[in-house]
Amino acid sequence: MTTTRIPIYVSNERAFVWDVDHVATLRSEHHVCGVLSGTLPHLSQQNVFLGLPLVLMPEELVLLVEKQLATIVHDPAAHHNPTPPQLETWDASRRRGIAHQLARQEREAGRHKGEEKGAQDAVAIQKRALREARRLKLAEAEEAKRPMNTTTGPVEDHDVLASASTPVLTSLPQPLPHSNAPSERASSSPAPVTNAVYTISVPTTSDEFTWYDPALHTYETLDAARKANVWHYPVTEEDRARCEVFRDLWEKGYYMGGGSKFGGDWLVYPGDPLRYHSHLVATVQTSPSAPLRPMEIVAHGRLGTATKKVHLLCGWDSASQEVTYISVEWAGFG
Amino acid sequence: RGFPKYATLSISIKRYPRAASAIFQTYNDLLLAQQWSEIEIVDLPTCGRCGFRGRRPENPNTRTCVVPCSLAETISMTWLKSAFGEFEQPEEVFLAINAEDSSIVYYKLSTGITKPPV
Repeated sequence: MTTTRIPIYVSNERAFVWDVDHVATLRSEHHVCGVLSGTLPHLSQQNVFLGLPLVLMPEELVLLVEKQLATIVHDPAAHHNPTPPQLETWDASRRRGIAHQLARQEREAGRHKGEEKGAQDAVAIQKRALREARRLKLAEAEEAKRPMNTTTGPVEDHDVLASASTPVLTSLPQPLPHSNAPSERASSSPAPVTNAVYTISVPTTSDEFTWYDPALHTYETLDAARKANVWHYPVTEEDRARCEVFRDLWEKGYYMGGGSKFGGDWLVYPGDPLRYHSHLVATVQTSPSAPLRPMEIVAHGRLGTATKKVHLLCGWDSASQEVTYISVEWAGFG
Repeated sequence: RGFPKYATLSISIKRYPRAASAIFQTYNDLLLAQQWSEIEIVDLPTCGRCGFRGRRPENPNTRTCVVPCSLAETISMTWLKSAFGEFEQPEEVFLAINAEDSSIVYYKLSTGITKPPV
């Protein structure tokens, strides 16, 4: 069933998963872990904890597509050129979002100011009123952009602008005629807020864009993706051997992770990597007669033993379509 | 000549001259340095050499299998599988890797995926 297959978004022959539910399904139902590679917006100065997108190894994509658990979506092509009406709608909704943010900021600052006023006595209030009047005169005279001061900045500007109805420099780009000004006041001037701070969020998935349509750019088989020049792996005999060994280990229920930290092709876990240590480092022998140097056995075997793992030589035999496994450990003598 | 049991080895050495150095070096190491006992010579024709079976001091109740090779050689998965076959499918075979400076290192090979230690 196509509808239940997980879309893997391919761009420049890299495989990404952008939906957190798909990431969870891949791990819990299909024991494919991938690697989270996105920095977290709220913790951008570290890379211990990473977020979406999930990056898959080429072998993982091949397995998932061949097992009909996933489809390939050519992401760049799925983003069509937006039509002018689509763009306008998108722009309008963005401006509405900004206006809501600024309006809310305004309300909260107003609440602040109200609290402050409640704590002040009559003399202080009078002094404040005098200061405000002086500032009004200055603003009228200069017609200049005013610096924002801490939390009440935008609100004070509003007060000034409402009374002075003086156009002030804005941090917003030239607004479209039907768009909202952040202060919907009685004042006739557009009077946007100076130096207002608002957040623009970039959505993780493109599904909400009306010009995004993956339907015509989804491939259910590796062949189809290859013909469309979207995904080519596996290409060589080595690639194919890797995919077969990966599939064989996967069918035995193992979880695989990248093996580069341990000098191998994969780390092989008997269960979820969050719960188990990997016991095995696997390397692929492309064919039964593929050359193997004793020095490799020394290097792999010694590194494996030093890291409390066993090195697993995995030999693919395309004639018998079987994988042969030989485990290597340092003998401990000699 | 002066070496003990050279006569018994000489048959294999003549039969497999290219592996002679590894055969000779491994045999002497097992006998004299590792102090194995009851070492028998096992013909491994598909591997192009002979191997050994003997009792380790730490494990005297089993007969441990060894196949010698040289660091300079090139082997393969088929070659390793043949060694297991010629020894009649033991659980483990030790690969004795010989260097020209006479250092030797042993690696334990097992068929299949070993289970993690409990």
